[in-house]
Amino acid sequence: MMIKEVIAIILLVVGCFFFLAGTIGVLRFPDLFSRLHALTKADNLGLGFIAAGMAVYIASPLAALKIFFIWLFTLLASSTSCYLIARFQKEQEQSKNRKEQG
Amino acid sequence: MDVFFIIVSVFLLLNIVLGLVRVWRGPTVADRLLTTQLFGTTSIAILLVMAGYLEELTLLNVAITFNVLAVLLVIGLVQVWKKKKGETR
Amino acid sequence: MSILIDILLAILGVYLAMQSLLASRLSQSVFLFFAFGLALALAWVRLGAVDVAITEAAIAAGFLGVLFLDALRDFSPRDTEEQQNLTTVQNSLSRKESKSLLLPRLALVLGLGLFLLIALEAVWKIPEGGGLTAAAETLLPESGVEHPVTAVLLNFRAYDTWLEIGVILLGLLAVFAVGGIQIYRKPIAAADDPLMRQVILFFTPVLFLFGAFLLYIGKSGPGGAFQAGVLWGAIGILLHFGGIPVYSWVPRWLGHLLLTLGLVFFLLLGFLFMAAGDNLFEYPPAYAGLLILIVETLAAISIAAALTAIFANLNQMKKEQPNDTAQK
Repeated sequence: MMIKEVIAIILLVVGCFFFLAGTIGVLRFPDLFSRLHALTKADNLGLGFIAAGMAVYIASPLAALKIFFIWLFTLLASSTSCYLIARFQKEQEQSKNRKEQG
Repeated sequence: MDVFFIIVSVFLLLNIVLGLVRVWRGPTVADRLLTTQLFGTTSIAILLVMAGYLEELTLLNVAITFNVLAVLLVIGLVQVWKKKKGETR
Repeated sequence: MSILIDILLAILGVYLAMQSLLASRLSQSVFLFFAFGLALALAWVRLGAVDVAITEAAIAAGFLGVLFLDALRDFSPRDTEEQQNLTTVQNSLSRKESKSLLLPRLALVLGLGLFLLIALEAVWKIPEGGGLTAAAETLLPESGVEHPVTAVLLNFRAYDTWLEIGVILLGLLAVFAVGGIQIYRKPIAAADDPLMRQVILFFTPVLFLFGAFLLYIGKSGPGGAFQAGVLWGAIGILLHFGGIPVYSWVPRWLGHLLLTLGLVFFLLLGFLFMAAGDNLFEYPPAYAGLLILIVETLAAISIAAALTAIFANLNQMKKEQPNDTAQK
């Protein structure tokens, strides 16, 4: 077994662990905000490890660049969507409370 | 090595299946929208693993397609449902 | 060993398809359908059809998702009073349904079942290692492109693709038929959030570049007009969300020109070469590559314009209705 395969296996296993952590967080956490926290952090870290593992395994500079951009876009998209969903939910809850009070 | 890639793909697919529980339960629309982010990220990971397993680098283009469109749904939810709130006032 | 993934994907696909129809809440259906689209895209990857996987990913994850979210908002009750009205309406509907709709439903199920059986029989009869792959491969040098899928779609069976572009336009016509051809001058709620504005600003050029990349790579690998069209259509939808309703900004004639450009140019080119003595949609091999690229670019622009128009019209139509009734 080549050394790059060993590195790839280790990175993929670590990535899978973070994915599992993210999914369990989404299932088990009590409210939306903590679920957002679990999902957008753990899953992106997992994707980062898997992307790194596959970049090492495929071992072509162009593919590695593409994989890096995939990870970068995911980071951008999910961090902003985390913020947007959280803000959306907060506004929904506020308007609901206002309705109940008034 | 191929066997290992298959195990990883199946494991990630099972992650998606587990995430479906949140679609069933999730009390609000935002909770359910959360799962689309989970599915999207996990699918990208599966596609990356498949790209190595099938040695088909064009699969990276599928992953980028998921990638650039993932944010569209979230912006859609926020903008579309914001107007709804404005109407009730 | 890889059959494990295939079985899992097959079960997941059938399960999600069934559940997205049977789910008791509309919002469950919408997001189960989204998951169904992702499972289908992964299944297409496993079947080796990367072209279809990209299209499925773009349509299911992007366009249909946003369209369904918009529909979901219109079907969800605005306040408690309306909710009560809605439930009473639904109850009366469901009571009516059980009697009058049983026969049409039975006929529909039987007809679709028969059709599926015939399709299954046709698939079963394909000889081992058959299909038209070999035929397409041998004619590939004449087609002007290097990717067999693009060669089939835009050269050997070009009129299929031409009709498909027409189908999207027909969808837009159906939207017009329901809502009427109106130009909504009223700007939708602009993106007041600075972060959202930045996201839209960042992803617009990225979507454009990646669409152009898919369009160009189509001659030698998976990609092409439809994929690029959906990605460019997503730009229109993003701008619409950002408070720039593209369709009220461009003049009307330009909008209609963009919508029909791909269809008309495709057909004109076909007739031009028919007049010169070839068959319909047959290109001279020397120019075929360039012609296909031009046709694909125009088709992608038309598809993008049509998808944007479908979304913008559906979104604006329902939004302005409550205001109209309030004015009356």
